[in-house]
Amino acid sequence: MSFVQIILNAVIFGSQLGLLALGLTMTYSILRFANFAHGELALVGAYLTYLFSVNLKLHFISALIFAIGLTGVVAVLSDRLIFKKLREAPALVLIIASLGLSISVRHIMSAIWGPDPLGYKQALAKVYNFWGAHITSTQLIILMVAGSAMVFFHLLLHRTKLGKAMRALSDNRSLAQDHGINVERIITWVWFICGCYAGLGGALIALETALWPELGFQIILPVFCAAILGGVGNVYGAVAGALVLGFAENIGLSVNWSSVIDLFKIFRIERMLFIPTEYKSAISFLMLVLVLILFPTGIMKGRKGH
Amino acid sequence: MEFGSIIVYFTIMIGIFAILALGLNVQYGFSGLVNFGHVAFFAIGAYTSAIVTTAGAPFIVGIILAGLTSAMMGFLVALPTSKLSVGYWAITTLGIGEVIRLVALNEEWLTKGSFGIEGIPQPLSKLIHISNYPVLYLCIVWMFVGLSYFLMAKLANSPFGRVLKVIREEEDLALAMGKPVFIFKLKAMALGATFAGISGSLYAHYITYISPSDFTPIVTFIVWAMVIIGGKGNLAGSIIGAVVIVVFFNSTRYLKDFLHMRAEIVASLRMVAIGILVILSVLYKPEGLIKEKKKTYDI
Repeated sequence: MSFVQIILNAVIFGSQLGLLALGLTMTYSILRFANFAHGELALVGAYLTYLFSVNLKLHFISALIFAIGLTGVVAVLSDRLIFKKLREAPALVLIIASLGLSISVRHIMSAIWGPDPLGYKQALAKVYNFWGAHITSTQLIILMVAGSAMVFFHLLLHRTKLGKAMRALSDNRSLAQDHGINVERIITWVWFICGCYAGLGGALIALETALWPELGFQIILPVFCAAILGGVGNVYGAVAGALVLGFAENIGLSVNWSSVIDLFKIFRIERMLFIPTEYKSAISFLMLVLVLILFPTGIMKGRKGH
Repeated sequence: MEFGSIIVYFTIMIGIFAILALGLNVQYGFSGLVNFGHVAFFAIGAYTSAIVTTAGAPFIVGIILAGLTSAMMGFLVALPTSKLSVGYWAITTLGIGEVIRLVALNEEWLTKGSFGIEGIPQPLSKLIHISNYPVLYLCIVWMFVGLSYFLMAKLANSPFGRVLKVIREEEDLALAMGKPVFIFKLKAMALGATFAGISGSLYAHYITYISPSDFTPIVTFIVWAMVIIGGKGNLAGSIIGAVVIVVFFNSTRYLKDFLHMRAEIVASLRMVAIGILVILSVLYKPEGLIKEKKKTYDI
């Protein structure tokens, strides 16, 4: 694989992951618990897009918009029905509740649409070649949509009153409350926005590959890893973490590690040493453990996960 | 299957999962460690026992080695992570469960990959006619359940068990009392993993065939459901939880004939139900079916 291709794949994966990671990092820092059902929000978004575009035969763009909005509503509902009742409970209880929710949602999807992979019925994608790499028109669209969604999130955080309140809440909840911010109202908005972004991320992942009930679980470890890598509560960190992870997964697989070991001159390995592709998902986990041990607050400034 | 053999099957599975749930109860119920990778220790026990017994070692060696390797793994997992907060702990252990499954799936020289290991010998199978064998195995499994229960009951009332509960309630207090919290967490993880390993070995020798698809994260969740619904921090709760979940999980298999639904839909719906049950339990009955007995001391 050419070097340009590796970078391209890394950026595409990173941008999909980033959409999920920025939502997760917000709920993690504001509500102080690791939401294991975040991957299932992506799953809901992806399946609702399937419902509107394939089952109900809407145009893909309008199907995507409806699905994203509805995923936001689902996220708010999950808060109202479950997490709101546990605001004062320790993080441990919330984590268990979110795990229960994730299992339920995943299997509801599987009961309705079946366990087999599905795909959105798309016109055949065009392939563009340049500098020895190729990119499909679908991937170009994914990059553009994800990029503009992230710019939009930045504007939301810094140009609106809601964004300001969200940042204040993430920094110091009780101080924000003392300044007259209606905490519960902001939390509802945070859930809605996180749901929308997770739904968009899920739909874009399903658009590039396939849609199946395990998609949410497959993505949750890399998403956590990206959020922690970037420092919990730091939205820009989460996106940067997602990109780092994209590079780590794609470059980690294409490097001949025996030549890397050679650099240290400790011992020599004669044969080529590659990480087997089967262990691709283990790379993000390895990164996570290293980060937790070496930089528990992330590579960019963020709060500790309490 | 006739009625009698269904009952025997249920009772054996309840016993195996009860030991697994007891192991998680040491970690979560007693010490407050959120282990989302419990299936990894179950898998390591099952594979260790399967590999050594298919190579010719007797059952008893298999089950002891299963407990030891799982304990070692539990120790190794806790070593770098025991200072992390609850959320990070949960994420890390979930990842470990996945990595162990990937190893089982891809290291074919050791685990035979996705084909799985078949022909795992059953202990004492020469003694008794094959049709009655499950009853004998039931006795073996429940002997181990009894042994585990006895050991855990001893542990719960020992100074070691009391320190674990202090760590669960207030880690800083345990530190202030001069207890080496780090060492206690390592021991709790290793001990819980030992039970999981023994349970895995019992599972492998009962089914006689294991493959990576037996060790998905769903197993971890099912064991969590048992501990949450049964009641954390108490031993009878783990057993009751195992009874409730195993019966529910398997009875839906027969329910599909009444409901006139496809088997895979029923299979999904039962997981939805268990998920909702866990959420409801957390919301409205956080102490579980059986409440933990807490001693109060008058000052």
